[in-house]
Amino acid sequence: MAKRLLQGNEAVLLGAVKAGATYFAGYPISPSSEVLMAASVYAASHPELRFLQAEDEIASANAIIGASLAGAKSFTATSGPGYSLMQEAIGYAHKLGVPTVFVDVQRVGPATGMPTMPGQGDILQTRYGSSGDYTSIVFYPSTVAECYEYTIHAFNCAEESRSPVILLSDAFLGHLNEVVDLDAIDVPVVPRTLEPLASGHTRLFSGVATYPDGEPATADGDEFIRQYEEAKALRLEVADRYAFYEYGWNKDADTLVIAFGITRRIAQPLAPHFALFRPIRIWPVLQDQLREIAPRYKRLVVIEGSDGQYASVVERVLYRDVHRVPLLGGRMSLEAVREGLERIGLLPRELAQATVS
Amino acid sequence: MSYKDKIKTDLFPTIWCPGCGIGLIMTQLATVMDDLGLDKSNTVMVTGIGCTGRMGAYMQFDSVYTLHGRTLPVAEAIATVRPELNVIVVSGDGDLTSIGGNHLLHAIRRNPRIKVLCNNNEIYGLTGGQTGPTTPVGTKTVSSPAGATFSPVNLQGLVNTNPNAFYAKTTVYHQGQMRRAIKEAIEWPGFAFVDITSQCIENNGRRIGFPSANEMLNYYKKEYRQAPPGSTQLANHQLGIVKGKPAETEPVPVGAASGNGSGEA
Ligand SMILES: Cc1ncc(C[n+]2csc(CCOP(=O)(O)OP(=O)(O)O)c2C)c(N)n1
Ligand code: SF4
Ligand SMILES: [Mg+2]
Repeated sequence: MAKRLLQGNEAVLLGAVKAGATYFAGYPISPSSEVLMAASVYAASHPELRFLQAEDEIASANAIIGASLAGAKSFTATSGPGYSLMQEAIGYAHKLGVPTVFVDVQRVGPATGMPTMPGQGDILQTRYGSSGDYTSIVFYPSTVAECYEYTIHAFNCAEESRSPVILLSDAFLGHLNEVVDLDAIDVPVVPRTLEPLASGHTRLFSGVATYPDGEPATADGDEFIRQYEEAKALRLEVADRYAFYEYGWNKDADTLVIAFGITRRIAQPLAPHFALFRPIRIWPVLQDQLREIAPRYKRLVVIEGSDGQYASVVERVLYRDVHRVPLLGGRMSLEAVREGLERIGLLPRELAQATVS
Repeated sequence: MSYKDKIKTDLFPTIWCPGCGIGLIMTQLATVMDDLGLDKSNTVMVTGIGCTGRMGAYMQFDSVYTLHGRTLPVAEAIATVRPELNVIVVSGDGDLTSIGGNHLLHAIRRNPRIKVLCNNNEIYGLTGGQTGPTTPVGTKTVSSPAGATFSPVNLQGLVNTNPNAFYAKTTVYHQGQMRRAIKEAIEWPGFAFVDITSQCIENNGRRIGFPSANEMLNYYKKEYRQAPPGSTQLANHQLGIVKGKPAETEPVPVGAASGNGSGEA
């Protein structure tokens, strides 16, 4: 197919279909609703995609887990409050080892917050939102074409890692229209890995700690640790094959900007003055890459749509201070980036002048 | 074949307290499954957190032990993806009607082909006997020392908001009638709900004055009566099966939305 104009949220749906998704459940919420609506329209003419507009996000999240166990590649899409409601189910999918995909089109929270304004405040929630320990894999594209591409990667990675994989987006990216050529994006599709329900076994898919034979293991720390380490090892090993990032702009500059998702696009005019590190795989954090690249720079600046969520992660990984440019209240614009850089004394003179002109 | 082939007897003894009613449900369910030829290649069990939900671990099927309250969305999705399967939900009254109440409301409305056996012990058994939405008014529990305050949820009324649905009331004392209700539910072409009164002897019965499970079963024998044949509405403590008109078409996934949503929330 030739080039076409496509919206970020619609690109997610097309990526899911390309990856072999056959089940979607969701509940309307801005700014993710276009994924749900596009899924319903697609399902009407392609009955192989089963579609459920569920009663809420809790039902959606649990339904995609049931669908995946039954043999379908499945996904949901939500935002802010809906994503919060899904946290218990995400932990459950981790515990069961169920491949499925959660799309979180971020808006400004907490609570109902600013429903149509872009934010990046779910970075830590995608890692730690459910209770207990588990190993999250999260991707965050920056362009409409990447929404398509990384949705396919998310499905593939979910299959290989046997875990719920999160695809992050935001109100800006989800609603962005760009010209894309999907045919130019060629990501091989990983087939189904989990043997579907009723294949002749008597397995117990239990959120409760159990031994392999189904007996409760609710007081056996050794068994818990054995199962936990096994799941963690698989997920880390698979995540290694999906260590996507971008390192570029002016690599000889003395300051490294770290930005991801739509923020990286907004910050594009900084290119002549800064080096750029853009994590696409947000979790597990790209620790080796950061530790290799960051020491080349005098200063690090994290520009993000939250009050330092990713910055705190970078500090922890590198044991060094980073400068922060938080873009809050939906003010995700070059203007806000300039203001933030000025506040910390890092705004290049050329960019300051551009503001005046 | 025997009902025992449907049960992992090697895992016995179960974790259930001696005298608990759940085992009586498992035996009748296994018997019906055996009669109807349900096996691990055509049937999936879905259970929720609670004493009742442990049943999935003891049966010879693939079984999904869901989060507390979430059996129905999981079961409905399985039935959507694999319409050829028998999808049997077994869960507690708290799980299905309290934390899972919203899913129950909407599963009834959508009428998926799933069968729900509700172990209605009128209490939160697993967590130690707190009052729940099925606890009769006045019952003293560890969380209602002066007696439960609110009227129990009307399960029959809820299920029958869908004219296509199936509702049966039975007890663990009335084994033959329970078996019939489970069998007809499994054969029903849509959503079926079997409301099974049973005893939680440890965390409820003894506290409300029953010395043992035996007295509770005798109480069910004395208190419950078969409804007159053809009843379309069961009175309190009446046993029977109320069937709607079977839906003419299989439930289908929601089709395309027309128009463009323009609001925001
Ligand atoms: C989200 C959540 N809230 C609370 C609990 C604690 N909990 C476990 S079982 C249960 C109640 C079980 O009662 P019921 O569903 O009637 O089952 P029974 O034990 O009586 O068979 C509760 C409240 C939980 N596991 N998860
Ligand atoms: S606590 Fe009650 S419901 Fe749970 S196993 Fe014991 S008797 Fe049965
Ligand atoms: Mg109960």
